[in-house]
This record gives sequence, structure tokens and C-alpha cells, in this order.
Amino acid sequence: MKKAVTALMAAGALVALAACGGGDSGSGDPAPGEKVTLKFQSLAFQKSTVAATKKIVADWNAAHPDIQVEYVQGSWDSVHDQLVTQFQGGTAPDIIHDESADITGFANQGYLADLSEYLSQETKDAVPQGVWDTVKTGDGKIVAAPTLLQSYVVFGNSAALKQAGISATGDSLSWDQLAADAKKLTANGKYGLGWGLKSPTATVLNLGMNFDAAFFEGSGRDAKAKIGDAELEVPKRIHAMAYTDKSIDPTSLTQSGSDVLPGFFGGKYSMVVAGNYTAQQMAEQAPKGFEWEVLPPLKGSTEAQAANPQTLSVPAEGKHIKQAAQFIDYFMQADNLAAVGQGDWLIPTTQAARDAIAKATGGKNGWEQTLASGTELTKAPFQSVENYPKWKDQIATPALQEFLANKIDLATLGQKLNDGWGQVNS
Amino acid sequence: MRTRPGFRFLQYVAVCCYLVFLGFPLLWLISSSLKSPQEFASITPSILPKQLDFSNYTDALSEQGLVRGLTNSLQISIASTVLVLVVSLPVAYALARFRSRLRPITNGWILVSQVFPVILIVIPLFMILRPLHLTNTIPGVVIVYMVWSMPFALWMLQGYVAAVPRELEEAASVDGASRVRTIVSIVMPLLRPGLIATAMFTFISAWNEFFFALVLLQDPELKTLPLVLARFVGAEGQVQFGPLAAASVLATVPSLVFFAFLQRRLTSGLLSGAVKG
Repeated sequence: MKKAVTALMAAGALVALAACGGGDSGSGDPAPGEKVTLKFQSLAFQKSTVAATKKIVADWNAAHPDIQVEYVQGSWDSVHDQLVTQFQGGTAPDIIHDESADITGFANQGYLADLSEYLSQETKDAVPQGVWDTVKTGDGKIVAAPTLLQSYVVFGNSAALKQAGISATGDSLSWDQLAADAKKLTANGKYGLGWGLKSPTATVLNLGMNFDAAFFEGSGRDAKAKIGDAELEVPKRIHAMAYTDKSIDPTSLTQSGSDVLPGFFGGKYSMVVAGNYTAQQMAEQAPKGFEWEVLPPLKGSTEAQAANPQTLSVPAEGKHIKQAAQFIDYFMQADNLAAVGQGDWLIPTTQAARDAIAKATGGKNGWEQTLASGTELTKAPFQSVENYPKWKDQIATPALQEFLANKIDLATLGQKLNDGWGQVNS
Repeated sequence: MRTRPGFRFLQYVAVCCYLVFLGFPLLWLISSSLKSPQEFASITPSILPKQLDFSNYTDALSEQGLVRGLTNSLQISIASTVLVLVVSLPVAYALARFRSRLRPITNGWILVSQVFPVILIVIPLFMILRPLHLTNTIPGVVIVYMVWSMPFALWMLQGYVAAVPRELEEAASVDGASRVRTIVSIVMPLLRPGLIATAMFTFISAWNEFFFALVLLQDPELKTLPLVLARFVGAEGQVQFGPLAAASVLATVPSLVFFAFLQRRLTSGLLSGAVKG
């Protein structure tokens, strides 16, 4: 026994010594003329996207021996906390992968480089102005390059739709038609629609743009809440489907977007509304023989939805902003953007990349409708509001959850959303 | 006094229920690690996989550098545990045995230090470690974990030292043993269960810690296991359940072995018969 403990202590001491012998792996700044190495922290998640991103890096490295890019795998779950500390300590990666909603705060604090003078005209022309607006500061600086977008789409069980005589054709699907279809599909203990609204704010604000909902007027800290009929239209319609038509499975309203899939595959409901990237899980998890499709983009008075693109940005304190921007330009080339977009089932921000995906997929597996839904994505007012994340977490999400659980009425919801802004923005 | 058969039966039932309660999460984890994506999306989940699918394990091992993460976590956890014990033991002994004005202040500080939220100290900590070139290094993380675990370890060990009868040390002193000799030969063997319990606590703290590692380690080669596991979670709540379950199963093996080795020694050799009445 004594020997065992002694051996354990000795082994521990050796491990401790070995651990303390590890060197600092940080790299210093290269001398002029020396090879530049850029750290690119990618948040690619799906296997195919990771492979596509690594290929882009490998191709770049092969073509640019003097500017080498080192691929570092990050995760969506923790990127914000990581960046907060890294910006404070001046150790952020040379190329940062994130989403526009998350980098707004960093940009306002001056942590991100203005890429206006570094990005090529080709890249600038390839992305629609409405999407560029999501990565611009109030004074017109471009703090990131927008790469991929998501939209909310309606997925349908092909067999159930066919059986009910519902044709999913046309350029768009009106909300009235969605409600009518859901009602038609509700029978024999099965619902027409499952909708994972555990975190309802993003969905409501994004789809609210279908009805010209603004939610905020102004920007930054001076923004004022604007909650009127247009802003309450989407929650009102969801509530009506759930509690008047009884065509939405009420259980699904408490679940996440992924949680509703088993019910969809199991025939519990015939349609689901979810982010278009859910198609990846559909393709992977659907039972054998189960056929699904993407319905045309939802339309209220317009088809507009909020654009919250994934982005590539560079720290303002970066030593190689120009070289990092060159790599970003390369990443934004149509073939590259198409490869990562297709891997993640997300919509590239450039038409050329969208065309490449359309050609590669033949529009199958819902790509035709998914790509179509990406053409109407634009900046939403809430994306310029500094305390939006606070309002979302502390006010909007609980209030919407209460409303969707039928615990408060529409007027109370409006009041909570409006008054809550004053509480978090004082 | 003999136990009634009925009561004995109820005892067994209670033990079985308790075992099921404790064992079910692990069973579910192992079962999930062997399910196909289609089974995960089934509306009627089954306890056992309908068909064994080992692809989750190959994915977990090949995709995210799980082995590297395991090695790093093991290295950091063992190093932190050993250093915490080496430093805490003499301090705990001094606090438990010597009366001084510093004692209540020290004990107060130990308690207060547990109140700070991690998020509050992480940026200052980062700023301190950076000029010392200890960010993005394993020694840096070991030092942080050591400092983080030490207050509670001291608190625990103090109690164990106080429980050792002073008469034993006095007897050793009468026999001519020095204080160091007394600590090493008399106190330490009696403290073994306490040392093992403290080691377990420190090891678990380091093994499961996520946030400091996330902030301090940027090099992919240095990432610890919790950071590797986080990569199976994507944006918008997307999770690769199968590979995550497989990685979690593999991640529990080293800690299970560690505990199996130490647990037997945790309850043995307490103070029974140390002092004759």
C-alpha cells in the first residue's frame, strides 16, 4: 500500500514537472521580409464545412508561401466569451469568424479593423448593400465581410402535403395560406405544424420583417422601442394557429428547433418552421423513405427577413490587417463560399456563390427555395441597437414565452416589450 | 440483533433503486453513443440502440482531437492535484495546530475567495499571466487551477488535521520525534482519507473546468477535454449528439479509473484504535 501511494505521488510529481516544462506556443511578430503567419479561428461545425474550410486554407497556403494561414477550430458556444478576453488581452486571432449580431458590440468598442480600404472592389460589389449594412458601424466603417446567411423556411412532409392536396409551388407562401394549410393538415390527433419556439425572439423579430415590423427606432443607446400592430403581427398569427385553429402542436412551442424534428419524422405534424440549416439534420436523420421538401419563402406584405450573416473580421490591433483582408477576399470567392455554404446548408451572401450551389445541387433537397429565401434578407433595425441582446434575454424572450403559452394577452405582451426596453436601456 | 427478512428485502430494493438512479445516466450515455442519427430523431426513443453503430466513436476520435484533449486534461488535472496537495498540507497543518491572529483572517479570506464569480476575475487574471508568458501554456493553466482549488482544499484539509488527536503528536514528541518527522510518520498516514478526498475534489475541478481553459488556451494542441467536447455543439442549438455521447463516454474512462483506484483507499485506515482509551 505504501509503495502504491509512493508510486502514485512520484508519478504525479513527474507529470507535474512535465507539465511545467511545456513552453509557450505563442509566436512573436515576424521581422520584415519574413513569412507572415495568420491565425484563423473558424467556427465551421458540420464535417463537410470543416473539410471545405480546411481546403480553402490549404489552397491559400499553397499559393501564398509568404502568407501562411493557420486553421484553429473554435466553437459557436463559447466564441463571445473567448473574444471578450482576447480583445482585452490583445491576443485575438488574426481572422475572426463570428456572426454580425455578436460583433456589433466589439465594433462599437473599436476592437475591429475597418476593412473598407483593404477588401477588393470585387468583393464589395458581390454582396448586396442590405447585407453590407449589417457589418457597418454608424460612421460607415466596414468591420467584417459577410459570408453566409440563414433564413426561416417551412419544411413539409411531402406525402402528407400530397395526401391533403396541398401544392407547395409558387414564388412565395403567404401567412394566410400557411395557416390554411396547417388547418387542413390538422386531423386525427395530428397537427399541421410544429414550431420550436423555445427561444422565440429571433424568430419573431426576423419574420416580423415580413410585415414591416421595426421594433426599434434609432440606433445605439438612443434607440426607442416601437411596438405596434406590425410588430405584434407574427406572435398574433402564431398564437391564433396554436389556440384558435389548434393547428400548431402546443408542446412544440416549448421546444428548440432541433427538438421538433422527431415529431416531424414521426408524423406528429406535417410541417415545421425552422432555420434553413435544419435541412442538414433532415438529410442526415430522416428515416428511410421519408420525403421532405422546403416550401416557398413566407410572405406577409413582403418576403423580407433580417440578415444576420456569419462574418470574417480582423482585430484593430492586428499586425497583418492587409494580409488578413487578402485571405478574406480569397475566402469570399464564389467557389469557396459555395463550398462552405453547401456544407452548412446556409445561403452565401454573393449571387455568384448562390448560383454555384444551385448548379451543384440542381436545386434539389430544398436548395431552390432556400436560395430564393436568401434574396430578401436585409438589415433589421434591432441590429443597430446596442442593448438589444439584453432586451432579448431579459424582456422579449420571457414575455413571448408567456404569450405563446397563452398566459398573457397580446396587449400585455406589447406593453411588456415596450416597457421592458426602458428597464434595460436606462 | 438479527434483521427481519422483510426489512432486509426492502433494503435490497432500496439499494437497487439507488443503483438504477445512479447508473441510468451512464447507461443512457453509452446507449446514445451507439445509436445512429436516425435513432436520435425517432419519436419513440429506446433505452438500448436497435442496431449498434460505432461510427460515433470513429467520428469522435478522428474529428476533434479527442486523444490530445484527454492527454492535456490528464496532465493538467494530475499536476494541479499534486501541487495543491503539496502546498495545502503544511498550510492546513499550521492553520489547524497553531493559534495566531492570522488564523481567523485566513479562514475568512478562504471563504470570501469562493464568492467571486469566474467572469469577474478572468480578464485581470489574463492581464497578469500575459506578461509572464503564461497564457496559452499548460503551466499557466495549472497555476490558475491550483490557485482556484487551494482555498477549498485548505478548508477541507484543516478539518481533517483538526480531527487527528493531538495526543498522538505529543506521544511522538515524547519519543523524540521532530515536528517534521511527526507530520510525515504520524499525521500523514492518518490523513490519507482526507488527502484522497481533497485530491478527488481538486482533480474533478480541474478535469471539468471549461472557462479558464477556453480563455487561456488558444493553441489547438493544448486544448483540454471540455473544450474539445464543446466543439460538438454548433450554432442555433445544433448538436452532434452521437459523436458527443461517444466522446463523453471516452472522457469518463480516465476519471472512472482514477476514482476506482482511490476510492478503495478513501475509507480505509481511519483513526480506529489510534489512541487507547
